Order: sequence, then C-alpha cells, then structure tokens
Amino acid sequence: MQKAIACFENVTRRFGDLIAVNDANLEIFPGEVTAILGENGAGKSTLMKLLYGVHTPSSGRILINGKPSTISGPADAMINGVGMVFQNFSLLPALTVRDNLLLAWPKTPYWVSEKNKRTTEVLANLKRLAPHINPYSKVSNLSVGEQQLVELCKVLNLSARIVILDEPTSVLTPAESQRLHGFIRQLADEGVSVVLITHKLADVEACADRIAVMRQGQIVDVSTRGQKSMSEIVTLMMGSDVKREISPPTYPKKRVEKLFLNKICATAPGMSLKDISLSIAAGEIVGLAGVAGNGQALLAQVIAGIHPATSGDVVLDGVSLIRRTQMETLSTPLGYIPEKPRENAVVENMTLSKNLNLRELASGNIDATEDTKNLLTRFHVNPPEMDRRASTLSGGNLQKLVSARELGWPRAAILACYPTMGLDLTAIQMIYREIFAQAEAGAAVLWISEDLDDLIAGSHRIAIIRDGQLVAVKNNDGKLNRDTLGALMTGLHPERRIA
Amino acid sequence: MSADLLTFLGAWSIATLRSATPLIFTTLGETLTQRTGVINLGIEGEMLVGACVGFAVGVATGNPWLGLLAGGLAGATLSCLHAALVLGANANQIGSGLAVWMVSLGITSYFGRALVGNQVTPLPDLGSPLTDGVPFLGIFFGQMTMSVPLAVAAVVFAAWWLAHTRTGIQWQAVGESARISSENGIRPKIVRFKAILLGGLLSGFGGAILSVDYTQTWAQDMTKGRGLIAVGLVIVARWKPALVLPICIIFGLAEVAVLRMQTAGWSISPHLLATTPYLVVLFILIINHAVARRDTNMPADLKRVFA
Amino acid sequence: MSVHRDTVLIVGATILTFFLLTIGFFVLLGKPPFEMIGMLLTYALGDGYSISQTLAKTTPILLCALAAAVPGRLGLISVGAEGQLYAGAITGTAVVLAAPDLPAALMLPMMLVCAALGWAFYGYVPGILRARMQINETITTLVLNYVAVLWVNALVFGPWKDPASQGWPATITFPGAAILPALPSSRIHLGLLIAIALAIGLHFFFTRGASSQKIQILAGNRKVGEMFGLNFGTWVIVLMAMGGAIAGIAGIAEVSAIQGRLQPTISIGYGLTGFLVSWLSRHQPLIILPVAFLVGGLVAASDALQLFAKVPAASAIILQGLLFAIALAVPGIIKSMRPNYER
Repeated sequence: MQKAIACFENVTRRFGDLIAVNDANLEIFPGEVTAILGENGAGKSTLMKLLYGVHTPSSGRILINGKPSTISGPADAMINGVGMVFQNFSLLPALTVRDNLLLAWPKTPYWVSEKNKRTTEVLANLKRLAPHINPYSKVSNLSVGEQQLVELCKVLNLSARIVILDEPTSVLTPAESQRLHGFIRQLADEGVSVVLITHKLADVEACADRIAVMRQGQIVDVSTRGQKSMSEIVTLMMGSDVKREISPPTYPKKRVEKLFLNKICATAPGMSLKDISLSIAAGEIVGLAGVAGNGQALLAQVIAGIHPATSGDVVLDGVSLIRRTQMETLSTPLGYIPEKPRENAVVENMTLSKNLNLRELASGNIDATEDTKNLLTRFHVNPPEMDRRASTLSGGNLQKLVSARELGWPRAAILACYPTMGLDLTAIQMIYREIFAQAEAGAAVLWISEDLDDLIAGSHRIAIIRDGQLVAVKNNDGKLNRDTLGALMTGLHPERRIA
Repeated sequence: MSADLLTFLGAWSIATLRSATPLIFTTLGETLTQRTGVINLGIEGEMLVGACVGFAVGVATGNPWLGLLAGGLAGATLSCLHAALVLGANANQIGSGLAVWMVSLGITSYFGRALVGNQVTPLPDLGSPLTDGVPFLGIFFGQMTMSVPLAVAAVVFAAWWLAHTRTGIQWQAVGESARISSENGIRPKIVRFKAILLGGLLSGFGGAILSVDYTQTWAQDMTKGRGLIAVGLVIVARWKPALVLPICIIFGLAEVAVLRMQTAGWSISPHLLATTPYLVVLFILIINHAVARRDTNMPADLKRVFA
Repeated sequence: MSVHRDTVLIVGATILTFFLLTIGFFVLLGKPPFEMIGMLLTYALGDGYSISQTLAKTTPILLCALAAAVPGRLGLISVGAEGQLYAGAITGTAVVLAAPDLPAALMLPMMLVCAALGWAFYGYVPGILRARMQINETITTLVLNYVAVLWVNALVFGPWKDPASQGWPATITFPGAAILPALPSSRIHLGLLIAIALAIGLHFFFTRGASSQKIQILAGNRKVGEMFGLNFGTWVIVLMAMGGAIAGIAGIAEVSAIQGRLQPTISIGYGLTGFLVSWLSRHQPLIILPVAFLVGGLVAASDALQLFAKVPAASAIILQGLLFAIALAVPGIIKSMRPNYER
C-alpha cells in the first residue's frame, strides 16, 4: 500500500459563522488522480486552498509526507512542491508570458535577461507543452485555453509533486477539455499526484483514479474508480436523486418577432463586434454559446445600453434601445442580469429593498416602494431582510437579488448573463423556472451561459459567438451535440487533431 | 553657431536641468511607489521635510552630502507614517497622504524657523580646465553639480531595474494585482512597504537638493506643491521611469522661463508669472488625456484606489 | 444595531487616542500637558471673548468643510477649498472696488453672489476636467490652490493696490456698506448664520428628495447608476461647482468681516482644515456642525496659546494632522481586532 503524500485529518475551516469545510478526512497518493467532486459551494476549493496555504485550518491538521504541514502561504507551498492552478487563473494580464513564469519560479535569478542561461530554462516547459505561444507576448493577448497552458507550465516549473487543478474545464471547449484529460493522465503516469476539483462528471469519468464527493462542506464519500456507478455518485453529490429538470416552454404557435439585433458593431479595448444580427420572437429562448472572451460581455453591454455601438441598432417592440434619451432609458422594459453582480448590478452600501427599487430611485421616483419582501423569499435571497445592506450578502445571494429585481415583474425582454453562476441546484432550478415563466408570458429571452448542457437543454435556438461575430444560429432540434458546438466555438473542425 | 548663441543655449539647458532635478527624484520615487499600486500624496510633505532636515544638517556639519543624505532619510522616516496607515490600518490612501502632508507642514514650519537666513555650503560645480571657456560646455559644466548626473543615472537605473530584475518584476506584479501576486508566492505588503519607503527616500533626497543645492536657502513651504505636481506627472509619464526625465525637464523649462522673464524686467506681475508652471502642469495633464489611450498603462491595483 | 455600536466605538477610540497623543505632544515640547490642555479649553470656551474668537474661526472652517462635503458625497476628494476661497475673494472684492458707493442692502448680496459665482467657477474647472477627462480632482484642486493664491498676490501687489497703504499690499479698506454685519464688539458675523443655514439645507438635500437617491447610487456604484440612466459627469460638475460656491462665500466673508480688505493672506489653511473636518464627519452636514466648532476652538485656542504660553504656532496644524491620521487609522485597526477578521 503506497504511502500517502498528503493527508487531511479532521480538518475544519470556518469563516465567521460559515463552516466551509467540516471535519474532512482525505488521503492523496502519488501517481494518482484524485477527483474532488461536488456542486457549487460544496467547499472543494476551500479544502484545497487549505493544502496550498491560502487559508489555515481552524481545527484539525494536514500532513505532508507524514509530517505536519509547515505551509503558511503560497510561497511555502511552491517550495514544498505543491502547485495550484486557480479557477480564475493567477496570471497578470499586463505582464508577458515569460515574466509571469519567472514570477512563480523559485529558481529565478536576480538579473533577468536573455543572455542569462537560467532564465531560458524557465521557458523549457512552455516550449514542450505549447510551442506556438510567444513568450514575449502579453498574457492579455492569449486565448483562455492558451492562458491555461501557461498556468500549467508555471506549475510544472515547480517540479511539483502535487498539482491541484480548480475547475479547469469550465472555460474550455470540449476538444480542449479532452486534451487536458490526456495531459492529466500523463502527469499521473510520471508520478505526480493530481487533484482535480470539478463539478462535471465528464472530468471524473475521463481521468479520475479516486473520487471524493463533497457536499455542504463535508466529504461524504471516497471511492476508487469503478467502485460505484455514476448515478450513485450523482446521488451522493446532490443529496437526493435529483435529476436536472429543465423543460423549456413550448414554442408559441405563431412567431412574432420582438427583439431585433440589427448589424451591431461596437469596439472596446481588446474586442470588437462585427455586424451582429439576430431576431428573437416573443416567448422564444435563444442561448448564446461561446468561449469566454469572444465578445459576449460586450454584446450584453451594448444591448443594455451601457456601452455605445458604433453602428447598428437594438429594437424592442419597435422602440430603439440604444438610440434613446436618458428619460427613455429609465423606462426600458428590458430585464438585464449582468455578470459579476457585485460589481455590475448592485449598490453595496444600500439596503436590499432599495436595490430592488433601483430603477425607480434612479428616475427620481422615491415613493415607489413595491412589495419587495415577497420578492426576496420567492427568489431564495438569504437572509430576506429588507433593511439589510447588500454588502453583507454572499455572491450567490447577490445573484439571486439581481434576478429578483429583473425577473420579478413582467418584462418585454430578458437579457441574462450567466444567471446561474455560483448557485446551488435548487436555486438554479428556481431561476430557470422564472425565466421560462417570463418566456411563457411572451418575453423574448437572450441567455448567455458557459454551460453547454444547460443551453442545449433549455433553449429553443442556440447562437454561437466567436471573435465578436455570430458564426452560427442553430435550431435546438435534438440533433445538436457538444462536439459540433465546440468546433463552431473554436473554429476548428471537430475531427482535426489538436497537436 | 555663434559663441553667444551657444552660451545662451548652454545657460538655458543647465538651468532647466538643475531646476528639474529635485522634481526628477521625487517623481521617480512616486513612479516606483505607484507601480506597486500605492499612491502617496505625502511626498509633498516628505520633500519638505527632506529640504528642512537636509538644510539643517548641511548647515550644521558644513558638508552638503551629509545634508542630502539626511534629507533622504528624513523623507523615508516620514513615509513610514503613510505606510503604517495604508498597509497597517487599511486607511484610504489619498487621505493618508494628505495627513502626512499636514503633519510635515507643521513640523517644518516649527523647526524651520531657526534656519531662515542661514548659509549652507553648496555642492561643488563640475567645471574644469577642460571645459571652461568652451562655448556651451563651459557654462554647461560650470553650473552643473553632481545632483544632475545623479538624477539622470537614477532614472536610467530605475528603468532598467524595473524591467530586468526579479524584484522589479515582482514590484510590477504587486501593482497589477496584490491577490494574484500573493497566490504566486509574493508578499505584497512587504513589497509595498519597501516601495513607499523608497519613494520617501527619493522625495526627501529631492527636497534636500532643492534647499541645499538649487536654492541654497530655506523658506517656509518652499516646495510649493512640487510634490503634488509630481503625483500628477507620474500619470503623464505613464508610470514608466524612463519618461520621468523628459516630463520633468518640461516643467523645469517652464520654471526657468518664468525666472528669466522676471529678471528680464517684463512688466507682468511676478505673481502671475509664477502661476505658469502650475498651469503648464494642468495643460500637460489635459494633453496627456487627449493623446493617451484610456489609462492602459495604469497598474491595475492602482485603479482600485480611484474606483 | 451593530452599526451604531461600531460608530460609537470608532469615535470614542479616535478621541481617546487623540487625547493621548496631545498629551505626548506637549510633553515633547517640555510643557506640562494637563495644564496646557486646560488652557486650550479656557482659550476656546472660557469667556465671551474666547467664544467669539472660536466662532470667528469656526465660520470659515465650517464653510470650507461644507465645500468639501458636497463633492465628497459623490466620492470625490476635493481639496480645493483654499483656492476656491481665494478665487471668491477676488470676485467679491471686484464688486466692491467697482462700485464702492453702493448702499449696504445692494452691496452685500451682490458681493456674496459674485463671490459664490467666482468660486463656483473655480470648482467647475476641476469638475469638468474630472467629468470629461477623468483627470483626478485631488491633484487639480491642489494645484489650482497655489494658482489662486498667486492671483490674489498679483492683484493686491498690482492693480488693486491701495495707494494710500504705503508698502503694505492690500486693497482699500472696504466701505462700511461692504462689511458683513456682526454682533457688536465681537467677531461673530453674518457668515456664521449663512454657514449654519447652508449646513441644514444641505442635510435635507442629501437625505431627502430625488437627488439624494441618485447621488447615493452613483456614489455607491457608478456603473450601476449609469446602467439606469444617471450621468456621473453631470453630477461631478454640479457638485464641484456647488462646493466651490460655498468656499467662495467663506473667502469673501473672511475678507469682508474679519480683515476689512483684500490682503495676501486671507486664509491660514482653512481649506485643508475644512477638508479634514468634512472627512472626519463622513461628509454629513449635521455632524460637520459640531466638529467644525470643536476644531475652530482648537485653532483659536492654539493661537492664544502661542501668544501666552509660547507654544509654537505650528502646533495647530500638527495636531490637526495627527487627528486626521488617527481618524484614518482607527476604523481599520478596530476591524482587524475583530475575532473573525480575515487577512
């Protein structure tokens, strides 16, 4: 029996009243891929951040090679051979690839220059893994998949014995995910312990040797591959045999065009939209799929009127949404759920009830205090206190708060960007219910999501955006599959091998 | 070119350089500080304290170099207050800088009383038999002291250091994102502390040069906002040390022009003339905005201070 | 509610620390600390004369604090009250010099209005620079401060100089009609009333009424405000100009009521002090009233202390700087002492 390279003994971690990790026991063995499986908020990231030193355990201890861990921060972790690739990358976009690699490398010499042989060593792994990436280009110019490769190189440069990957496939196309799976297995074969944090069963099926299931901060089960069936594992993950139930409303019989995007062009630093045209009917749900960073955010901002369009128009019920005066803006019947609600959609030092009435307050109408208490409970906002400050809410609850504001009353059209990000399953189902209810009442819905499964399950049509252009709009007639969509998203032919 | 013209150009060039030198040190210091994501308005105070202490030590010891050194140390010491507030107590950076400035206004006004009217031994000039009498070079080197080449060397070294050493890259990283830097094993607070300290050292040094080398006197509030101007000039220099030199030279040129106009007996009120350098700064800020693409060079973590 | 408990804790800790540091300060100066503090209190509030001195100092501080508070509600940090004060003095004085024979009823309002306009302009410039070009208002207001002082100097040494005042640069003494009325034999003048009225008015402006909510939204999250159709730039300009106008009134009040003519030194840092007061009061007009009074007392008492106890004149500003630093530090330190504080 192999000796464990890392071991969690009764580890608990609290943040104030919240118990993020509750009495966890886990062993990690060399040369194996350990998958930590659970849905959003289960505590998987926090568990591994304890190993990496970002947090320290509130109680319990962590052993490395049999001895108590002395890791008190990422610097120590890296010296001890533990590397972690975070979900939203630890790369600095304004610096070059080479500088980012040098930053994380323990052997970086003081004088950094091309002539210094030790400096070029840091690029060796990069050349091996991704020869097409120019080390002197800025990270902000790389695609998401390329950035992930750089992150992996950073970790490899550490000669890490333990490599932790946090939700690596959430930003990749299906083909890139496959390549990553192969790479993970390769690492394991070389003797490295790989810990894979994920909520996707596909990742687990492809490369896990051992599967630890987490739910609400606790490790509820640890099994080796093949010991349990996938549906058993899903049950453990969800807590009950809850299948993802999504059934979009049926198409209305007559197609009444409602929301028009007419040849929209816009520019922003690093991205430009070219001639985006799309027409959405009343009661129709169109999902927008695409690799992150291909223009979805900019398009959403243009439609919502935040970012100016250089040409083209957005028309809802015959009224242009982007050529309007300030007064008209305020009465727009478009419900807009932006991404990153904390930054983009709430005023943190105002109360929940004021945030729900933001539209009215902004138009100077301070007497309109709608019945907001019901909205809070309907949308599972926790805690449902009207006078609580929005800053005290968690990210997930803020997401629900914004959804409450935008979906709580009938709207003529809905623009939802990643509306289920960071929510647990019951909340996700609630959001879908509300969106579908709006559609049934006749709203035109444009839904931007990173989850292809959800889009396929819940949309009437799927549009794909790449490099700021709409490259395809497909009817969701049951014949779509992820490979086809993935190929359209990256522009590569599905059968072509990616070197 | 006639000898007169060369002499004229030489006189103007060296006057500009000498006028710009104190500002170069201060702006360079603040550039490096801001590169790590911290803004320090207190450099006005640090410059003032450096001028006061530098002058006092210079007078007391008769050695201008000791004075300059003392000025730098004084600036660094004062900057510890800003560091303590901003890094230790998470205070608002702009407020903290202003508080440091207020404290130093008081301290220098009190200690500086005794210094008014004193004489200080100046730094020797760099004239030599080689250059004396030669048009342009003669007056150029004849009026130059070591502070000028030091300033140029400092800028060049800083620019190279920031891009080509491990610590320089770490400083850049901290300025972009403290969170990501710490995920990569760097300790952002320590880096920022060092940056604030270095900024204070350079500002104090610049202030000491102002009193000991350039004007060779002490007067209340003698920096007259130069430190605050430096903070603005950092933006114009796009946070690149290399650009600090030309930008400060422009300011120095404006100051010299004002002085020359005053002595040339123009009938414009000397006070109105004195507003010129400040208006030049505003002008530069406006032009900079019109010309630059929207702050693409600002270190990302610094943006958060202004958000 | 825990919010109130926090505020009490912070305010209490701030005052206590300041008290301790003041004691330390006097010890450093070699003076008996408690006696000094006692004298401070006496000179601030001890008798009628002291109180009138305090109130005289309070007026410009209060006005400058309000001037900083107005843009402060939007999150702008405007330290330009000093310059705006001088600019308003210029325009207000211009009225007096242009028409020295106007009766008081006309003269006073015109003076005030022109002062306000002059300073509004001085607030408008940094405002528009910030609104249209994102140029940081702290730097522009600070730089413009120096410019305004120089302009006053230029005018007073030059075209506006009173030929009768040999060597001393100043304008003619203001005619009686141009002097703000004051309480007899004291230095409490109309400016104080105006300031208090403004404070109360601003309080209502910022807590009730449609504008208050719009400002709160924009201050809390600019992106969201713009998403719902609010224009950040417009409000920047409006609030900066308002702040400038208020500071302008402070300037002309000082010139007219206290000094009686335009001279090179109108203010002794009232702008910066006012900013400090506003910051301490979190830009809330009703809190600014008592705080301005306290700081006014501190300044008046330090003046007296300098005359009678040979305490250096610079103590006032050092103490203010310390107070400011403490006020900045205390909330953060208290937060870090909480048990569930996360790094």
